[in-house]
Amino acid sequence: MDWQGQKRAEMLMQVLLVASAVAAFLAGYVLADFQLMLLVYAGGVVLTALVTVPNWPFFNRNPLKWLDASDAERHPRPQVSAGAAAGAAGGKKKSGKNK
Amino acid sequence: MHSFGHRANAVATFAVTILAAMCFAASFSDNFNSPYPTAAVKILNINWFQKEANGNDEVSMTLNISADLSSLFTWNTKQVFVFVAAEYETPQNALNQVSLWDGIIPSKEHAKFLIHTTNKYRYIDQGSNLKGKDFNLTMHWHIMPKTGKMFADKIVMTGYRLPEQYR
Repeated sequence: MDWQGQKRAEMLMQVLLVASAVAAFLAGYVLADFQLMLLVYAGGVVLTALVTVPNWPFFNRNPLKWLDASDAERHPRPQVSAGAAAGAAGGKKKSGKNK
Repeated sequence: MHSFGHRANAVATFAVTILAAMCFAASFSDNFNSPYPTAAVKILNINWFQKEANGNDEVSMTLNISADLSSLFTWNTKQVFVFVAAEYETPQNALNQVSLWDGIIPSKEHAKFLIHTTNKYRYIDQGSNLKGKDFNLTMHWHIMPKTGKMFADKIVMTGYRLPEQYR
């Protein structure tokens, strides 16, 4: 799941569970049936799980763009080398070794 | 929310937390019930009234216990425990309460009843104070919920008196 999808999944989970709870409580209270409240809520929980837990396609509509392997070689990761950077690294955190 | 397990855990724990909130709300809704119970106990007969070998008075009686406790039931009521106690004062004890009968009412349909019975539990005094004793018969009940707070209340019925002499 991409980042937007995760955010959407969490939001859907919260909304669906609270809505199930409200619907269940109202149904149970109005019809004076405690067991009905529990059954409606259980149904709502199952529905929420089916919608938000599996990795459905609509949670992957903003996929991350990973760099190609060839591009990665042309833009190497910056290195912090001991000798060359000693002078410039005075202000940085891990330079204590050479001093 | 990056994995199946992570999302499944989130749904499960949030669902249980909300269930706890629903149970609290269901229990709270019991406060909006205004019950109007009625009760009456009639002593039909004093079967016998003796002083025991250890010096304590004991009386056996036949009672008609009737009540309508149906208004106590809400959607959140599991059962109602009801008992009838004889209450009186003696020189030793400011309050004596002796349970004479109890029962469990499992549903609203069973809440209106008339029971004809001798006292289920023995009416024995701590001492020998019962001759000519004035006492109350109080019907107590505990409304046991499906979830949450238990309510308890009573109806006091006065005006009962034991015989002046043993029989």
